[in-house]
Amino acid sequence: MENKQFIAISKRFDIKNVGKVTGKEIYASDVNIPGMMHAVVLRSPYPHAEIKSIDLTEAEKTGAICISRDDVPDLIYNERIVSIPDKTYKDRTVLPKDKVRHTGEAVAAVAADTEETAFKALEKIKVEYKKLPAVFDIDEAMKPDTSQLYSYVYLGDKKIDIENNIACVRNISVSDIDKGFEEADVIVEETFNVQRIYHMQLETKSTVCVPEADGGITIWTTTQGIHNVRILLGEIFNIPLHKINVKRITLGGSFGSSIQMNSITPICVALALKAKSPVKLVMPREDDIYDHASYPLRTKIKIGAKKDGTLTAGHCKVWVEIGAHNIQAYPYLGCIAGWFASLYKWINIKYEGKAVYTNKTPTCARRGYGSPQINFPVENAMDILAEKLGMDPIELRLKNYVGKGDEFWGQGPTIKSIIRSCGVEEMLVEGSKLIGWDKRIPPSEKTGDIRRGIGVARGFHTSGTGGPNPGEVIDYSGATVKINEDGSVDVVTALMDHGGGTWDVAAKVAAEVLKVPFDKVGIYNGVDTRTTVFDVNTHATRGVYCGCGAVKLAAEKVKKILLNYAATLFKDLPENLELVCNEELGQAVVYPKGLPEKYKTVGEIAKTAQIKSWGTIAYTSSLRQKNCPPCFITYFTEVEVNTKTGQIKIPRVIMMGDSGTIMNPELWKGQIIGAFSQGIGLGYIEEIPYDTNTGKLKCNGFITDFKVLTTTEMPKIDDIKVLPAHTYEPTGPFGAKGIGEAALSAVASSFGNAVYNAVGIRFYDLPITPEKMLKALKEKEEKKDKKE
Amino acid sequence: MQTDTKILAHEFEYLTPNTLNEALDMLDRYQDKNAKILAGGTDLLVKMKTINLKPDYIINIKNIQEINFITYNDDGLKIGAVTSLSQVEKSKEVKAKYSALYEAIKSMAAIAVRNMGTIAGNLCNASPAADTAPPLIAYGAEVKLANKRGERAVPVEEFLTGPGKTVISSNELLTQLNIPVLDENTGSSFLKIGRVKADIAKINIAVYLERKNNVCKSCKIVFGSVAKTPIRVKGAEDILRGQQLTSDVLTKVAEKASEEIKPITDIRSTAEYRHEIAKVMVEKAVNLAWERAGD
Ligand SMILES: Cc1cc2nc3c(=O)[nH]c(=O)nc-3n(C[C@H](O)[C@H](O)[C@H](O)COP(=O)(O)OP(=O)(O)OC[C@H]3O[C@@H](n4cnc5c(N)ncnc54)[C@H](O)[C@@H]3O)c2cc1C
Repeated sequence: MENKQFIAISKRFDIKNVGKVTGKEIYASDVNIPGMMHAVVLRSPYPHAEIKSIDLTEAEKTGAICISRDDVPDLIYNERIVSIPDKTYKDRTVLPKDKVRHTGEAVAAVAADTEETAFKALEKIKVEYKKLPAVFDIDEAMKPDTSQLYSYVYLGDKKIDIENNIACVRNISVSDIDKGFEEADVIVEETFNVQRIYHMQLETKSTVCVPEADGGITIWTTTQGIHNVRILLGEIFNIPLHKINVKRITLGGSFGSSIQMNSITPICVALALKAKSPVKLVMPREDDIYDHASYPLRTKIKIGAKKDGTLTAGHCKVWVEIGAHNIQAYPYLGCIAGWFASLYKWINIKYEGKAVYTNKTPTCARRGYGSPQINFPVENAMDILAEKLGMDPIELRLKNYVGKGDEFWGQGPTIKSIIRSCGVEEMLVEGSKLIGWDKRIPPSEKTGDIRRGIGVARGFHTSGTGGPNPGEVIDYSGATVKINEDGSVDVVTALMDHGGGTWDVAAKVAAEVLKVPFDKVGIYNGVDTRTTVFDVNTHATRGVYCGCGAVKLAAEKVKKILLNYAATLFKDLPENLELVCNEELGQAVVYPKGLPEKYKTVGEIAKTAQIKSWGTIAYTSSLRQKNCPPCFITYFTEVEVNTKTGQIKIPRVIMMGDSGTIMNPELWKGQIIGAFSQGIGLGYIEEIPYDTNTGKLKCNGFITDFKVLTTTEMPKIDDIKVLPAHTYEPTGPFGAKGIGEAALSAVASSFGNAVYNAVGIRFYDLPITPEKMLKALKEKEEKKDKKE
Repeated sequence: MQTDTKILAHEFEYLTPNTLNEALDMLDRYQDKNAKILAGGTDLLVKMKTINLKPDYIINIKNIQEINFITYNDDGLKIGAVTSLSQVEKSKEVKAKYSALYEAIKSMAAIAVRNMGTIAGNLCNASPAADTAPPLIAYGAEVKLANKRGERAVPVEEFLTGPGKTVISSNELLTQLNIPVLDENTGSSFLKIGRVKADIAKINIAVYLERKNNVCKSCKIVFGSVAKTPIRVKGAEDILRGQQLTSDVLTKVAEKASEEIKPITDIRSTAEYRHEIAKVMVEKAVNLAWERAGD
C-alpha cells in the first residue's frame, strides 16, 4: 500500500454539493427557455396491440403541435450505445410504427403553451387499436405458438429473425463441466428468482429541446452520458453532430435508468423540430414507472465441491424477462456470466443465458447490472453448500474466492484483467469479529416469537469496463484541465455525477496533482458536448477509476506545462523545481528545490504567462483504462423475524467495502448505506406485479403502491458500521477503485442468509414479504407436526 | 386511461365560502351539479389526478372558522370538520385520554399530509382502511351532518356504508365530530400494519374496553381494511365481555375475530395474511387497552 500525504483526497469536503442542499441546483426539469412549449405523451392502454390508425385532427384544432408515427424518422435503433455497434441489438423507433408492445408505450405526443392545454389536446387524439394476445411470463413467451412481439430485429446492421420471443442468447463454457461435477463430493442445485422492480430514482426523466436557427438543436436532459445522447440524436434525426449540443446538467438520480438515451428525448426533439419552438417534456411519475424497470433474473444454479470445500464446478442457467424492448440484454447476459465466474473459483464453468421478450415495461440496467440478481443465488447456494459440508460459511468463502493475482471477468467474457488489490479476506475476517460471528447459533437452537439471525454475503463490481484489450464495451473518458490566470483550476469534463460525489473526486484529483487547495478547483455545469471530449457514460462504477483517471492524466500534463513556464521564470530546469501546496497562502507554489523561500505562486506564474502571451496552461486528455479492478463489498446483516407477523427488522449491520483509496469518506459511506437500504428493499418488499388480465401494473404507475424503504426501516445509525478494507489499487487514480454498484450486490443475499439463520427457512424467490414469511413458517410448522 | 399527476388539467369552478351558512347555501345550490367539498384535499386531489374524478364545482371549506376547533369538556371531545389531523394530534386531551385516536393519527402518512388532512375528510372519503374510523367507532363517536334546513347526528359506525360510500347526502356537510367522555377504568389502543411505516393499512384495529374488578365490563373491537367498511367483531367482543383477561380467553377472542373479518387479497396484502395477523393484533391491542384501563 502506498503511503501518501494527500492534500484533498480522503479528506472531508463537500462544497460541490452546496447547490443541492440549498435548493439552488438546476436540473433538466428546471430549465426554462423563453417561448418554451410544454409536452405530454399519449401512452398505450394495452400491452400488445396493432395500431390501426391515429387521428390527430381534433387535437391539432386546439392549436397544439402533435406528433405520431408519421412524424418521426424510420430509423430502428437501440437507445443504449455503450456496446460496440456489432453487438448492439436494435428493435425500436422513436414512436412505434406498427404496434404497441407494452402498456404505457408512447404512441403520440403533444406540445402546447402549457402542460394543461397540451393534456387537454392529448385527450382529443383518437387511436384505433386492434388488441393482440399478450405474454407476461417467460415460459409462456418461449412457447412456439405464443404471440410474438417481433418477427425480426437488427444486430448491428444485420437483420435477424426472432423466434419464440427469444431476444438473445449467450452461452459460455470454461474447462469441462461434467468432469467438474464428477469430481464433486457434494452438489447443490436450486432455482432462484430475483424480481423486476422500478428504479425509483428521485428525478423523473426530463428533456428540454431548443431548435436552433441553423437547423441544429440544443438539449438539456436527464442522462448519464451527454455524448451518447448527441451521437444517437444525430443518427436518428440525421443532423451533423456539430449542430447538436447536449448540455451537461445535474442528475437527480438514475441508478442506471439513464445509461441509455431516454425514450422521451427523441420525442421531445421531434416535437421541437415540428413546432420550431423550444419544448419541455417532464415525465410524471406514472409515465416514468411505465418507461423502465430493472432486469429480473431466474437462475438455475448447480455447484459442486469436494469434501474439503474446494469448489469443482459451477453451472448457471439464467433467464431474463426483458419486457418489450431489448435495451441491451446481450451485455447484461455477458455480465451475469462475469459476475458469476468472478465470485468464486468454480474451475469448471458452464453458463447458459437467455433473454426473453414479454409485453411488459422494458427493462434496463439498475445499480449492479445483474450483480445483485446473480449474487443472490450464488451466495445462498454457498451457504447451502457450507451447511451440507458442515463447514463455516466464511471458511468456505475464504477458501474459494477470486482474489489478488486471479483473472477477473469484469464486465463479461470479453473484458478480463488481473486483480491487483483485494480486501476480501480482511473484510470477511474483521467483519466476522465485529458482528460476533463465533456466537452465531443455528436456527434449530432458536425459540420464541422473535428470532434473530446473522447472515454474510459478499460481492463486488468492476470499476469501469476497461481492460488490456478492447472488448465489446466502449470505455474511455476525457477531461480538460486548465489553470486560470489567478492560479485557480477549471476541470471540464462530460463525466456525470449520479450524486455519489464523482465531481468532487474529479476536483480532488486535479487539486492533488496540481497541489492546489480543493476550493480553488472548479467543476461546474455549463459545459456540454461541444466543449468536452468524449466520455462514454457514468455507468459500471467507472466515475472515479476511469473518469477521474482521465482528469489525473490531464492534470499531470498541465503540471508539466506549468513547470516549464516556471522554469523560464526561475531560469532553471523544470526537474529542478518543486510544486507544493502552501496552505497559508491558499495557493500552490513553485520553488527551486531546496529554496522554498524563493517561491512563486501558481497564480503569479499563470498571470505572467498571460501577460507575456505564452498561452493558457491547459491540456485535454482522452484515456482508456487498461484494467477494470473489482471493488469488493461484504455485509454482515442481522435480522429480527417476528414469527407472529412475518415482519422483519434489521437491528444491526456491519458493512465492509474495498475501494482502494477512499476519495470521499463521507460520501463513500453514504453510497454503502444507501445501497443497503435499496438492497433490503429488494430483499423485503419491492416488486411491481402486473395484472395479467389488463396488462397494467397493479400499482397503476403510482408510488402509492410501489413501496420503497425509508430511513424508518433502517437500523439506528449507531447500529450501522461502515468500514473500509486497507487496500491500494496500483492502476487507479491515487490508488482508488469504485463503490457505487458494488455496494448493492450482496445486500439482499446477506438478508436472505440472515433470514435462514433466524428461522431455518431458505427463500428462493425475492422479495421475502411478511406474507410469504408467515406462510412459510406455517408450512414448516405443519410439516413438523406431521413428522411428530 | 391517461393521467398526468403533475397537473390538474381539468377545469372547475372554485368556491371559497367563509361561513357555514354560505357553504350550506352553495351545497344546496350545487347539490345536483357535480360539486365536491374540499377540506385538506389529500384524498380529493389525489383522486382527481389518478382516477379522473372531475368535479365541476369545488367548495373549499378550509376558510370556515366556525368549524375549525377542538374542545374538551364534560360533554366530551368535539372536533370541527376543518381541524387538521395535526391539530388533533397536538391536543393534550387527545393524547392523554383518547389513546387509540392519538395513535391512529400518529400512524397516518407523514407530517405534511397530517398538516393538511382532516378527520372529517378521512371519514367522508370512506376508505375501508381509513385509520381514524376504527377508534371513532370504538369510542361510539358520532358525526354531525348539516344542510340548509337543519342537522342530524349519525354514529360513525352507521355513517360508513361501503368503500367510498357514506350516508351523507349531496347537500350535506359534515360539520363536527362528537366523541363521548370516556368512563373511568377504560382504556383504548390502536395498532396498524402497513408495508412500510408511512402507508395505508394492510390491517388496523382499535380496541376500547372498560375494566372493573379485573373483569372486562364492556368492549368494542373494530378492524379496518378487512371488509367493505371498518367492522366491529361483535362475536369476539361477546367472548371478552364479562371475562378476566386470561390467555385462554384472549386466544378465543382472537380466533373468533379472525373468523368474523372478511378480508380480500389486494395490492397491499393477502386475505390469508390478514386473517392470520388479525389474531396477533387483537391479542396485542386488547392487552394494551387492558393495561391502560388500569384497575
Ligand atoms: C401521502 C398520503 C398518505 C396518506 N396516508 C394515510 C394513512 O396512513 N391513513 C389514512 O387513513 N389515510 C391516509 N391518507 C389519506 C388522507 O390523507 C386522509 O384520508 C385524510 O384524512 C383526508 O382528509 P382531507 O381533509 O385531506 O380530505 P379531502 O381530500 O379534502 O376530502 C376527502 C373526501 O371527503 C369529502 N369531505 C371532506 N370534508 C368533508 C366534510 N366536512 N363534509 C362532507 N364531505 C367532506 C371530500 O369531498 C372528499 O370526497 C393519505 C394520503 C396521502 C396523500
